[in-house]
Amino acid sequence: MAYAGEVVDELQRVREAAEERRLVTSAADGSSAAFEQLYRRHAARIHALCLRMTGNVATAEDCTQEAFVQAWRNLPRFETRSAFGTWLHRIAVNVVLQQARRRAESLGAGDSVEREVADVLADHSTVDPGRSLDLETAIAGLPPGARHVLVLVGVYGHSHEEASQLLGIAVGTCKAQLHRARALLSARLGEAERNHDAG
Amino acid sequence: MTQDERTAQDAAARLDARLGELPLEVAPRRDLWPDIAARIEERAQPVAATTRSPAWLWQVAAAVVLVAGSSLLTASLLDRNVLVQQSAVPAVQANAHAASDGAVVMPAAFGPAGQLDPEYVAARRQLTQLLDQRIAALPTSARAKLEFNLGEMRRAADEINAALAEQPGDPLLEELLLKTYQDELAMLSNISQLTSSLEKAPANMPANMPVSPNGERMQL
Repeated sequence: MAYAGEVVDELQRVREAAEERRLVTSAADGSSAAFEQLYRRHAARIHALCLRMTGNVATAEDCTQEAFVQAWRNLPRFETRSAFGTWLHRIAVNVVLQQARRRAESLGAGDSVEREVADVLADHSTVDPGRSLDLETAIAGLPPGARHVLVLVGVYGHSHEEASQLLGIAVGTCKAQLHRARALLSARLGEAERNHDAG
Repeated sequence: MTQDERTAQDAAARLDARLGELPLEVAPRRDLWPDIAARIEERAQPVAATTRSPAWLWQVAAAVVLVAGSSLLTASLLDRNVLVQQSAVPAVQANAHAASDGAVVMPAAFGPAGQLDPEYVAARRQLTQLLDQRIAALPTSARAKLEFNLGEMRRAADEINAALAEQPGDPLLEELLLKTYQDELAMLSNISQLTSSLEKAPANMPANMPVSPNGERMQL
């Protein structure tokens, strides 16, 4: 039974991949209807990435929108060597970094902004919402460099090599930022737990 | 391993486990598609766009073209007659055809989908056609070296364009591409000055010896 289930799952994956390739081809030929379907498939994942990387709800929406617009413009040259989702993910990271440079802002600096982002993210959590809220708040409050690395490596599972390439930093810097992010998170989560216990 | 190290390791593992539980998909509070659709409907087809790179890139590129173009035009007007005389030399003439037949125009784009403005492309083509003639008039060894260097620059631009296909909007790649175009234009401008000086050189100076703008013999 388990084997049959795996075969069905695999067939489903193959079908979805073929459908996505068809949509990408149509969108590259100028079909906005096909591109809308690609948006529907990937918007939530891209938006979550932008939310965590920017630490700001409004900026995350702008970045999500911009990432899809850039993808549309570049689709005719997309060579499908990588999956569309992976390619889109890279575009979104670039958009977030460009946005941060343009605005030269200290993202995630304000408590209210951190809390807003954390609320949005924790609403989608499948585990204890209170614990997720603490974690998301702590992530949103990290300094941008540490947060970017933590999101890419810790949450999205990129290797240090991939993350350093995406962020345009050295691998050593990436590792140092992750270490710093973990230390800051542990301290903040410990503090949050103590506050809960006291409350 | 000490007790402290074990505790730290356990804490890191617990943190990683919690990070792994976070949702990877969070839908935007509102549907962003209408805004995206409005922006992409501004262009009929994805490939039809002409303003895909940041505005500053275009401004800088346009400035570089203007500077290089104007200096070349000046050089061309001043030295046209001499150029015609030199191109009459049979060996140079044969090579001139070979050089001008070759594609000297670098792919003019900022990234794979960042197609340049048609006016920019036309101006650039004109500029490079003019320079083809000038390069063809150079001595063989100098011409070979220049063509090699230009070829390297153009190959670099191709590679950066290909990388931009994989990472659209990458600021580092865009900067590299712009720098490559600027270098190419600077080199073309130098070629113009060089050939102009060569054409004005005294008759007793060996033809295969390029001269600097102030008339001194120089090595490439």
